[in-house]
Amino acid sequence: MIKPKIAIYDFTDCEGCEVKLISLRERLLLLEKKVEIVNWRLGQERFEAGPYDIVIIEGTPITQYEIDLLKELRNKTPILIALGACAALGGIPAIMPEKDRKYWYEKIYTSQYHPRGIDALPLSSYVKIDFIIHGCPVDENEVVRVIEELLSGKKPSFRGYSVCFECKLAGNPCRLLENKPCLGPITQGGCGAICINGGSPCYGCFGLREEANIPGLLKILEKITDQKTIENYLTMFHSRNIKL
Amino acid sequence: MITNEFIAKIEGHGSLNVNWENNTVKLHIHEGERLFEGILVGRTAEEAHWITPRICGICPIAHNLASLAALENALGIKINETTKLLRDLMKAGQMIQSHVLHLFFLSLPDYIGLDKGTELAKKDPKSFKNALFLKEMADEIAFVIAGRNVHPTTTVIGGFHKIPSKKELEKLLEKIKKTEKEAEWAAKFFSNLKYPELKVDLELVSQKDGKIVSNRGKEAPVDDYKQNLEEELRDYSTAKFGKFQGREIMVGALARLSFKKNNDYLPVQAGKLDFNNPFHNNLAQAIEIFEFFKEAEKIIEKLLAREMDTTITKPSENATLKGIGAVEAPRGGLYHEIHLDQNNFITYANIITPTVQNLTSIEKSANALIEQFKEKSIKEKEKLLNMLVRAYDPCITCSVH
Repeated sequence: MIKPKIAIYDFTDCEGCEVKLISLRERLLLLEKKVEIVNWRLGQERFEAGPYDIVIIEGTPITQYEIDLLKELRNKTPILIALGACAALGGIPAIMPEKDRKYWYEKIYTSQYHPRGIDALPLSSYVKIDFIIHGCPVDENEVVRVIEELLSGKKPSFRGYSVCFECKLAGNPCRLLENKPCLGPITQGGCGAICINGGSPCYGCFGLREEANIPGLLKILEKITDQKTIENYLTMFHSRNIKL
Repeated sequence: MITNEFIAKIEGHGSLNVNWENNTVKLHIHEGERLFEGILVGRTAEEAHWITPRICGICPIAHNLASLAALENALGIKINETTKLLRDLMKAGQMIQSHVLHLFFLSLPDYIGLDKGTELAKKDPKSFKNALFLKEMADEIAFVIAGRNVHPTTTVIGGFHKIPSKKELEKLLEKIKKTEKEAEWAAKFFSNLKYPELKVDLELVSQKDGKIVSNRGKEAPVDDYKQNLEEELRDYSTAKFGKFQGREIMVGALARLSFKKNNDYLPVQAGKLDFNNPFHNNLAQAIEIFEFFKEAEKIIEKLLAREMDTTITKPSENATLKGIGAVEAPRGGLYHEIHLDQNNFITYANIITPTVQNLTSIEKSANALIEQFKEKSIKEKEKLLNMLVRAYDPCITCSVH
């Protein structure tokens, strides 16, 4: 059997989703038996210039170099996968609006500095993406599921339920019923409600579920908190995804 | 565009630019700027320790703890003993996690002629199994205390949303004690590697008892971090380059151990450390894995011997609203400074990461390497330079933030 050739790229981000790949441990070895990773800067020296069967990209294309590379990879690759919230949604780096970047460059680096970053946007702002593995960070089981489904020739499906479903299964009391803000109802499942299990809110890093009822959730949030807090929740991972 | 111009097996994007005519090296940093200090301004205090771990997926717990410490100082909060112990345990787990990842998956291949960490599974299955045990153990500490191995979910200003039960802690302790022999093995394994013999006049700096201390006898209070850790711009880098009181310094495991010679937990391999050889940072990290295993055991025993205090401490009424949080992260001293307004919104944030402090030293050591290995071919020297950069374990994503 010819193994599919995979390249893993990291654009601007924290690389935590790649750490999750390494956290697969024995399962990473099993995956390596089914695919050939021919280019992964963080993991190996071995480098093949392509073309690749599958390219997995983590991070936001924030510099011109990354934007150009993304377009080139898209042109040459049949399957392009976004790994994690930065690639899928823009994530935390996208909180910074493009119009404010100049001010902060001067403040953080002085006016002598020549910036490289343009704007933190999801991959889909520039090219078509074939599939998304959601999360900040991604969930190990979801990574394995998606790759195995792809290898068996299936188009991986998204979870057809919200975080609320998994949160109930985990036995958590509903935050909204306790008047604590939460984006669980509009957010796609797959994470096992891990943040809520730990006592934190859901900020929506798994992206919007299909047919998410945003106005419905906003109505509930408006009853329990102020506009600024709602805005903060919706801009944590979604600043380029949900228009307020 | 599809090239391998960046140094492999380090966190983030950097490349070495060597001028072979006059034997000087520049470390170019290409990572995009995310502007975290700007992202934080305008968000609420409660969001800072959620946002800052996303600076770095390899040391997210360190950023989480540094932000919490800064916020608690700003709000005049003195955390209870249970919280303190649990956070120390998170830190121990973080150290082991980061060191194991770096040593076995990024650095070790250099020393035993492999391309990537997982190839060890074939070449030396027993060692690979040990490495996976250590990784699993460290991830488990993070899962049990912080809620997840990457990006904590359980922490909150003043305490924890949720703390583990004693039963969970007992199970964790049992497992740590069982895995301790693998930690000891790691120290031995890395003490038997052959490190390139490089001699650099290194000034080693670490946080100690609220101070920033140097092995040259210089020190400064942590609260004066900004005046003592100067950062400068370089036109070839999106990260700033740091110095301590104007001098190039090295921070991280090797520096920490230079101040801990009498620590009870240090395995005998600590005696082999050469504090003038930056490659020995790898050995120092392996020794620290064992040290933090012992530390984790001690902390859990303390926790088990007391009532668990689940209270979340509230802000004091006369809070200064300005705070500094200093943490020894896996790669060295990390500093977060956060200012708040009366309504709990962040008005100012400043972050200095360990790698910013190390970048200057990497260049200094790289120049020394070219000088001391001049008889070697350019190809060999290039290989050694890449190994040297990796030995420092730079986190370029942290350094740009």
